[in-house]
Amino acid sequence: MTERDVLALVTLAAPALTGVFCGVLPRGWVRAGARTGALLTGGSAALLAGTVLADPAHPQVGRWLVLDAAGGLLLAVIAFVGLVSVLVSPAYLDGMTGRSPGSTKGRWRERSYFAVLHAFWAVLLAVPLVGNLGGAWLLVEATTAASALLVGFSGRPTALEAGWKYLVLTTAGLGIALLGIVVLAAGVPGGGIGALDWQALTHYAGGKDTALVAYLLVLVGLAAKIGWAPVHNWLPDAHSEAPAPVSALLSAALLPTVLLVAWRCEQGLTPAVGVHTARTVLVIFGLTSVAVAVPFLARSLPWKRLLAYSSLEHMGVIALGLAFATPLALAGVVVHIVGHAVAKTLGFCAVTPLLAHDRGTARTPVSGLARSRPGLAAVLALALGSLAGLPPSPLFVSELLIIAGGFQAGRAPVAIAATAALALAFVCMVRSLLETVLGESGPTPPERLNPPDRPRLPGMRGVGVLATGSLTALLALAGVAAWLPGSALVHALGKGLS
Amino acid sequence: MSGPLAAALVCLGLAVVTVQRRLLAVALVTAQALLLVGLSARQGLDARDALAASALAARALALAAFLSVLVTRTRDPRPVRAGVPPLTRAALAAGLAVTLVWLVPAMGLRSRGAEQAVLALVAFGLVLATTHRATVFQVLGVIMIENGLALAALELPGSSALVETGVALDLVLIALVAGAFHTRIFAAFGAGDTRALRSLRD
Repeated sequence: MTERDVLALVTLAAPALTGVFCGVLPRGWVRAGARTGALLTGGSAALLAGTVLADPAHPQVGRWLVLDAAGGLLLAVIAFVGLVSVLVSPAYLDGMTGRSPGSTKGRWRERSYFAVLHAFWAVLLAVPLVGNLGGAWLLVEATTAASALLVGFSGRPTALEAGWKYLVLTTAGLGIALLGIVVLAAGVPGGGIGALDWQALTHYAGGKDTALVAYLLVLVGLAAKIGWAPVHNWLPDAHSEAPAPVSALLSAALLPTVLLVAWRCEQGLTPAVGVHTARTVLVIFGLTSVAVAVPFLARSLPWKRLLAYSSLEHMGVIALGLAFATPLALAGVVVHIVGHAVAKTLGFCAVTPLLAHDRGTARTPVSGLARSRPGLAAVLALALGSLAGLPPSPLFVSELLIIAGGFQAGRAPVAIAATAALALAFVCMVRSLLETVLGESGPTPPERLNPPDRPRLPGMRGVGVLATGSLTALLALAGVAAWLPGSALVHALGKGLS
Repeated sequence: MSGPLAAALVCLGLAVVTVQRRLLAVALVTAQALLLVGLSARQGLDARDALAASALAARALALAAFLSVLVTRTRDPRPVRAGVPPLTRAALAAGLAVTLVWLVPAMGLRSRGAEQAVLALVAFGLVLATTHRATVFQVLGVIMIENGLALAALELPGSSALVETGVALDLVLIALVAGAFHTRIFAAFGAGDTRALRSLRD
């Protein structure tokens, strides 16, 4: 076994074992055990991602394990988001069990929450490392089982509704994707789903028409899980009803990770389907997602629902970048995935103490926060401003790179349409930002956000640390973005696994 | 795969689309899965095939037992009516199946009859999941789609017992989670009816 193999094993085993331990550890040790396991998982995943990204020109490609630039990037993102989610989770649980902290139900809930959260994280970390389309499908399906439980964790009727929708729609979608995979399996050398490693896809020999049908089935099926429009119905509900730390993991890590599977399929099947056709499918999903998100972003929405529709927009932007596939566009994709992960994690996690303090704020748009809680207002402004693409946000740079990549790829009409849709989305998000921070009045009056007889929100010190780290990371990312288009990382991404 | 076997699988699927009683639907889907186990056992040549057949059998029996217990423990005060009448559901299912057969070119399975049966089961599963309001029927729709895909995997020229076993286990896991949701929905709303799940809209 190589050093990378060992690191990969530790990265996958640590969260899985932590999940098991959380179910059996003595009562007082669960949180400490979850934190320790999360630090070990985050550390080993970051180390593995670092070794892969330090030498992106030499990926390790096996039949079942792949360590390449794209996988390394997603591994780093999942490690970061997962670690923050685990560390923030006690604030959510305290809010949930605040009325009966020592009850049997409360203790059981805490155990099951951390066990399922770590199981979800473990499966998610495995997706970018798996070297086989059939294996990737199995893991993506497994993420559905674990994350659906977390979406419905609170047990509220709306959470059950969101969890059920998520479970049924994404499972049906993944069934469609599996049909596409079976069709592909009949046309690769060796036959069978087990022979569908990423490189085998490039040797598909079942005919162009069949390849196109299989490609469409796989992408449409995965689209239901990525949250691409028009098969995104579950997304705003699941992201708004899940515990906030889980919403961060769903939005900032799960969606781009499944998108990686779709991209690997696109790269593998391009020889069989044709470059133009394969990328046009991504363009259609990308443009539709951005366009569908705009009218929803224009409304006054509760905070988590607003972030959910922003996820729809950003998955569309990433799809466009992958469709353009020029060095400029791929550099934009890298910056966008990382910047979106940092800003979205901050957005979901920063609001956790507020939601725990006043559950009513989950149902109504937050307005005029600067007057009642200036510190939290500044943090939410940082998250929303970054997601909107307000300069100097790295997402502003990444969107510029992707649009420029569109012109570079000779898809000027698509780039122009994307620019128009992104401009509208920007205006809507900035309006929401102003409303959240400076709004005159709204359904959530300042007295309710900060009643005079209540102490400060617990957990705000952690939010401050997260915000400072996120601001530093976002500025650094915006700074390095200009150097990325000619980098070895982007070159390796363009080359794929071929 | 023989023509009568394919016809039996399709007829069972169409019957599930039209029936109203949950236990009967569970029995029909289980019969469909057991037919697949029989097909797998008949094809079984080596240890890998035997493993895949065992996984299919375990899946079929585990799901049948689990869903039966679930249905008997959560008896709806009144039957949850589907939004679409039985004959219309059957017509929709048959129409979608014919459309898929017409649209999808040859997949490369061992026989065209098997390919048509696969597409028909996927179509029936989709119609079942979208036209029924009862949560159990929506789960059965997903299981029927997976039955169709299991048939496709059996009719592939090559095989991977590892992946096929994984698919079977994944489906059991999804069904367990769906069962947990069904129980909580039943406890919260007094019925396993998705009409109650319509409060989240923008």
